[in-house]
Amino acid sequence: MKDKIYLKIPAKSEYVGVVRLAVSGIAARLDFSVEEIEDLKVAISEACTNSVQHAYEDGNGEIEITCFLSDKKLEITVKDEGTGFDVGVLGTQSQIEKSEERLGLGLGITFIKNLMDEATVHSVPGKSTEIHMVKSKK
Amino acid sequence: MVLNFNIEIEEKQDIPIVRVKGDIDIYTCPKLNKGMTEAIEGGHSSIVLDLEGIHYLDSTGLGIIAHTARTLSNKKGYVYIVCQQPQIRKIFSVSGLDKKNIRLFDTDSDVLSEIKG
Repeated sequence: MKDKIYLKIPAKSEYVGVVRLAVSGIAARLDFSVEEIEDLKVAISEACTNSVQHAYEDGNGEIEITCFLSDKKLEITVKDEGTGFDVGVLGTQSQIEKSEERLGLGLGITFIKNLMDEATVHSVPGKSTEIHMVKSKK
Repeated sequence: MVLNFNIEIEEKQDIPIVRVKGDIDIYTCPKLNKGMTEAIEGGHSSIVLDLEGIHYLDSTGLGIIAHTARTLSNKKGYVYIVCQQPQIRKIFSVSGLDKKNIRLFDTDSDVLSEIKG
């Protein structure tokens, strides 16, 4: 049986650190190692940052974070109901160049995939984006 | 999580050293950008960014560092990062930025020795 923890935040940059702190606490509760907790902190921040930066053009909207806890792994979904995007552009040169114009790297999703054991991005243009990720204890 | 984000800029051997304390994320990276921009405004070709006082860094902060490095690359300059923390170094490694004109050192003394040659 999995325990579920649910957070909902305004899609604003000042709340990303709050989610990072919460997920860090949840991972510590599950006895993840310090290195694994650091990986989780980056992954959850990148997912929330993606929503803050891209989801809501007028800056008004919310991000839902759901954590499923089990003995051996932590599953997290980060969902917004914003503009969505074509997942096919991820990692392309034009996406990276657009990110650089905003002083970004365009590597948020790459970071998540590198630091988590599983990561999938599902987005429906004009409707929503959901990032699902899993970290298992080593 | 450190709530107090702070930047101090000093100069040694004619190179600006930017020391950062706190978490570098989407919320604080505009302040990092302002500090880095101010530090190189005087025409310096390279900069030292001391990250020993930070507890967290993600792609938003790396974007600012990469932007500064691109600006300095026109002057054949470098961004010298001071950082010993494995997790922060791992972020640089995953990004691939440590292969460009961004170099990592353990201490600012190591950087200054390198520059002095």
